[in-house]
Amino acid sequence: MTSQIFRELETICPDIVWETEDRSVCARIPASHLRAAAIYLHEREWRLGTLVAREYDRSLEVRYCFYATLHDGWLQLLVAVDPAERTLPSIVSAVIAADWFEREIEDLFSIRFTQHPRLGDFVLHDDRWAENLGLMRPHLKPDEVKEQRREWTPKRVLEEEGSFVMPVGPIYSGDAESALFLLETVGEDVVRAVPRLFFKYRAIEKLAEGKTPADVLLLAERCNGTSAIGNGLAYCEAVERALGVNVPRRAIALRTFFAELERIRHHTTSIREICASTALTVAASQALWLEERLLRVSGELAGHRYFFGVLELGGLRRDFDTALLRSTTEQVASLLGRVEELGTALASSNSFLDRIEQIGIVSAEQAHTFELVGPFARASGVAADLRVLQPYAGYSDVVFDVPIEREGDGYARLRVLFAEMKESLRIMRALELPDGTVHASPVSGAGRALGWTEAPRGASVQWVEVDRAGAIVRYRLTPPSFRNWHGFHLATEDFAFQDFPIILATLDLSVAENDR
Amino acid sequence: MNASLELSLAAAGIAALGALISLGLPERAVSKAVACIGAAAAAVAFAGGVVTLARGPSAELTLWSFPVLGTVAAGTTTLAAWFATIAALVYAPVSIFTLRYVDRYAGQYSLRAFGFWYCLLLSAVVAIFECRDVVSFFVTWEIVAIASSMLVAFEWRRFENARAAFVMLGMSEAGTMAALLAMLLTRGGSLSFDSPAATLNVAASWSVFLLSFAGFGVKAGLLPMNSWLPRAHPLAPGNVSALLSGVILNLGVYGIVLVNAQLAPIRFAGEGVVVMLVGAASALIGILYATIEDDLKALLAYSSIENIGIAIAAFGAAFVFIVERQPQFAAIGFAAGLYHVGNHSAYKALLFLGAATVDAKLGTRSMNALGGVIRVLPATSALFFIGVLSIAAIPPFNGFVSEWMTLQALLRADELTPLSLRVAFALCGAALALTAALAVTCFVKAFGMTFLGPERTPRTDAGEANISMRLAMGLLAAECVLLGLLPTYVLPALGHAAWPILGRDAVVGALVPPFFHPNAGPRPLPEDFVSSFHALGAQLGRWLPGRGLVVMLRGGQANPVVFAMSTTYLVAIVAATLGATYATLRLLSRKPSLRTRVWAGGLRRLRPEMTYTATGFSNPVRAIFDAVFRPARVENERETIHEHFRSAIRRKREDVFLADRLVNFPIAELARRIASVTARMHHGRLPSYVGYALGALIVALAVVTWQR
Amino acid sequence: MNNWFLRGVAAGVKTEFAPAGDVSESLSAGLPATTLQVSDDAAAALARLCPTRAIVAAGPVAEVDPDRCVLCMRCRGDASPVQWRHDVQVAHGEGSRARLGGRFARSLHVRIVDAGDCGSCLNELAQLAGPSYNLHRFGIFITPTPRQADVLLVVGPVTRQMREPLIAAYEAMPEPKRVVAVGACAASGGIFGPSLMCGAGAAEAVPVDLVVPGCPPSPYAVLAALREVCGQKQGRAT
Repeated sequence: MTSQIFRELETICPDIVWETEDRSVCARIPASHLRAAAIYLHEREWRLGTLVAREYDRSLEVRYCFYATLHDGWLQLLVAVDPAERTLPSIVSAVIAADWFEREIEDLFSIRFTQHPRLGDFVLHDDRWAENLGLMRPHLKPDEVKEQRREWTPKRVLEEEGSFVMPVGPIYSGDAESALFLLETVGEDVVRAVPRLFFKYRAIEKLAEGKTPADVLLLAERCNGTSAIGNGLAYCEAVERALGVNVPRRAIALRTFFAELERIRHHTTSIREICASTALTVAASQALWLEERLLRVSGELAGHRYFFGVLELGGLRRDFDTALLRSTTEQVASLLGRVEELGTALASSNSFLDRIEQIGIVSAEQAHTFELVGPFARASGVAADLRVLQPYAGYSDVVFDVPIEREGDGYARLRVLFAEMKESLRIMRALELPDGTVHASPVSGAGRALGWTEAPRGASVQWVEVDRAGAIVRYRLTPPSFRNWHGFHLATEDFAFQDFPIILATLDLSVAENDR
Repeated sequence: MNASLELSLAAAGIAALGALISLGLPERAVSKAVACIGAAAAAVAFAGGVVTLARGPSAELTLWSFPVLGTVAAGTTTLAAWFATIAALVYAPVSIFTLRYVDRYAGQYSLRAFGFWYCLLLSAVVAIFECRDVVSFFVTWEIVAIASSMLVAFEWRRFENARAAFVMLGMSEAGTMAALLAMLLTRGGSLSFDSPAATLNVAASWSVFLLSFAGFGVKAGLLPMNSWLPRAHPLAPGNVSALLSGVILNLGVYGIVLVNAQLAPIRFAGEGVVVMLVGAASALIGILYATIEDDLKALLAYSSIENIGIAIAAFGAAFVFIVERQPQFAAIGFAAGLYHVGNHSAYKALLFLGAATVDAKLGTRSMNALGGVIRVLPATSALFFIGVLSIAAIPPFNGFVSEWMTLQALLRADELTPLSLRVAFALCGAALALTAALAVTCFVKAFGMTFLGPERTPRTDAGEANISMRLAMGLLAAECVLLGLLPTYVLPALGHAAWPILGRDAVVGALVPPFFHPNAGPRPLPEDFVSSFHALGAQLGRWLPGRGLVVMLRGGQANPVVFAMSTTYLVAIVAATLGATYATLRLLSRKPSLRTRVWAGGLRRLRPEMTYTATGFSNPVRAIFDAVFRPARVENERETIHEHFRSAIRRKREDVFLADRLVNFPIAELARRIASVTARMHHGRLPSYVGYALGALIVALAVVTWQR
Repeated sequence: MNNWFLRGVAAGVKTEFAPAGDVSESLSAGLPATTLQVSDDAAAALARLCPTRAIVAAGPVAEVDPDRCVLCMRCRGDASPVQWRHDVQVAHGEGSRARLGGRFARSLHVRIVDAGDCGSCLNELAQLAGPSYNLHRFGIFITPTPRQADVLLVVGPVTRQMREPLIAAYEAMPEPKRVVAVGACAASGGIFGPSLMCGAGAAEAVPVDLVVPGCPPSPYAVLAALREVCGQKQGRAT
């Protein structure tokens, strides 16, 4: 981090207290200077990684984790909150990306963000739970968590004669995840669509408290089973950073290999969903078959089709034969060739292109302001990829491109998926697989650290705090879908109802990842 | 010689007396008096009309003689008698409805005034069908116009009511002038209807046609002269709306038929085609606007435009057939048109009374705010439903019969030789088919959004309507059912009604072949005509009840096929089939049926704002026919908090009626421009005015000299 | 311009015979086989390893409950006494109520309800409609409405906020109906339940007829379960 930033932040917040935490720079600032500091960082193109609320016995603090588009590392702003008053100024008027973070913290920690216009009814639905439940508060007694039946009315924004709200969900379609969508319409076009999520809220962060790090790895993998490596690796890196574990080089390389293999399979799934949503059945069937073959290759290699049980803290659970890995790479290469044939066929299919072009457009400015992540953002021209911005695992050793498209419509997102798969194969081929062990020597101790990966859907940012007994006392999990669902309403203003499933498929959002 | 004229005049007299009485009665008693007198007068008028239809017209009665204006004569004709009968059939139930309906105006507006104008209108309506000369016709016509405007403006404290009545009266007067001019042109020596018509050259004949069609078309509510209709009908009191649609519109139709079929029969096929095309256009535009309406009464008002358009289209076809010398098909056309006019009166009055009940009990006419009314007003809903089935032309109700006959009349186009006529018939037929489909959509929306579904606004405790209101609607519903189930009794009456137009040889009666009872009917039919029906089993006629209960018509030489339909047998067969199926299933099936919640995707319950609104239901129609509606987007505001939180999206659309947009507003604009140009002449300088007078004098002298 | 019909025909038939015996790891991660006889210490050690108490020590016997296994793979290894099974007939249910029989053997409609699933079980279910597994050849269809469904297929540990919709879906189905719980979460709550926000599987909300353990179970295992529910005979590769 440049000294200029140090100086300028000190000018903005004279009471700033600098700390280092596990090679990461933290700045403790009072709540009154929070907005100014956030605006300063936002103007300099620092991106918001996550917000972590942490309540100790007698104190409460919220941690704002920013990372830069330059190789500057992370900067964490720590703000103390009075445990009795529990209020903080909201920064959404300047940094809209903090919107859902603040809503989540309000629901789960009962911290009120003043001047946030939309608090309430977020994670804990108003028609089932009392206000101010504060589920994540440490001294919460189980009998305080009571359900109650209340009336919920959808918030209506469209004021027109004869407008109504069409609900889709939470149970809809054939094999869709459970989420509620509220489509405001006057009967022809849908004027506005908003999602109501967290029907699948499992309280993973609460479950993790008190568990051993190995058990919490299971939770991280199964937050979203189709990106087990994506989320699991971020967790592993966070714990390894917190405890100062040295991961062997072979394990690092293999982890990168598995992450890219998972990305290829994940993107094939997304392509399959897009084809299915446009009812191009032949293409969907062919994509399904290719996805199944990729799953089988994964299962053959790792013993589990979705790579559960591959990662271990400090490395991998077991080693893999290098020759086997190389032959797997070539199998994947030939399957990828078939996927690209499918892509070429789709690109020459006018009826298919008609349906996915010019729908769900998110402009570059919107993607940038809302700080969207992953292929969703890259299709709108936002060149953000954590493998490049904040290299982790083995990514600093390989050369690869990050494909960007400009249009921000469904077709652009599809093209990004195809291009990223090619780059993933390139990485897999270019990886050096050095000899050595894949297990690290055990380490004990306490610590706190951030961990991050570029999961298939985008940036997954996590934070752990391990206590002296070796148990996880706080686990913060921010998967990429949580950031991208925030931008859902940008893609769904003024569209035809028939395009809704297609927009949903091209956005490639996971409800399980968001709801945790 | 029969007593029909006496009966009709007596009915008019009773109503006029009632008008005077209600001025003197205390407010509380007015509604009872109006109900009784109105019902009585209507009953007597009904009797008079039926007698005329059955026995034929009475002799004329000369009432007064004036030096210049000629004699004032009264007499009944079968054509007028049909219209009078329909008017009476509507007026009686509406009077009964009035008994309790006007209670809502007590204390705010003068019920005496209501009674006066109501009875006066009844008197004039009954009387106008007995007028046999131009003067009495138009005096009575004016009384009708004024009385109906006064009734529309009954809630005069509301600005839009007063304005609607003003527009209505203004347009009505313009139409009256045109119609008066047309009638005068047709009269040669005397002003009586029964004197021979003046000989007219081509230009004069077209002038008479256009003036009478446009003039009476204002009253009938045809495009492009019907801007007053959607303004006046929704704002009038409920029972008055029923009268406007059920009685007053028919006067315009009567005027058109009177002038163009009886007084000065049209001579050119082009005139008939104009009538047909205007009718079809009115029908289509009317139902389009009805479908997108959210106000229940406005929807019914636009639907009236549609129905009158259909009747006029049938008359237009009949006119063409007369000119092309095919009186048997003209008879079908006239029968269809007259039948449709009668049916429309019955079911439209029923629907308007139903809407008035809903408005009175629930306080709103907007379908976006209603819903679930069937749980609050079950009897009203059931009767309204009969009206809906009738207007959507669902067999076996009356709308089906007259629409069937109208389409049959149009299909007889294969008997015509000129290609242009066949094309015109085909276009009209296509337009009417589209209209019928849209009518179903429109009334599914009207009934479904108002009566079915969830309650969109929470209900206060409203009970079912008063027995008198239900009785009135029940009477009209019974009329709809009977007119639908027994067309074979109505058609001979219509045949009589067509005597003044087609002469007594009209073979409308052949639509209901009396050979089912070979001894029934005034004259036996030709043998080959009878034998052509034997293939259909006409021999059964000896054992089947009534006058056959089957409506049949045979195509001409181009298409000698028999077309038949029987609503009565349809009802019998359908009822029998459904009954048998139901009984069989109840006997055979042992599984219980389960009552459970609506599946709402897992939501606890489907809230009212999550169901389709009336606007949403008809939005696809609006989108498809956007070129017709051309709504102006008045407002489209998007508000945000902190630049990214959408707090409101405000949108508003305004529709301007097609006739206003294309005809009235341009004419008004033109008049304004002319006025602003000529206003420059009015600058107040006296010498210039003297100069104008001098100039006019010089011009007049020059003209006179040049004429010499 | 692309001719999808010809592309499809050129791709050929990809459907495989549904296996009756053991399958490779590419198709199924397998499950621990049931109850082992080991020493007291070994049983206790295994029980400590297992994060979901799928292995419970009772003296010298280590009882294995496959419903609870989330495939963390800790008890696998060359030195581990735990036997691993790789067949696809892992579904089990109570009594004869499980089968529908009759016409349903030829036509079965399934409504999938996601009650908090992580996505892997749903993805495996999505594969069933693909050419490799080809659910439709057995007359089994996925339907979007419970009103036309015969079988309710539940995935996920039944979160508190999905409990009511799940029960509503069950009640919206007409008789006769069956419930199949697919995956460790729906079978027993997996690693998520029972807890503050999650139940202990689908059985807490709706009466479950058939349970398919696994995390996630192989698509062939789900297929076998569905075929059993509708009463089809499953013999050698069909």
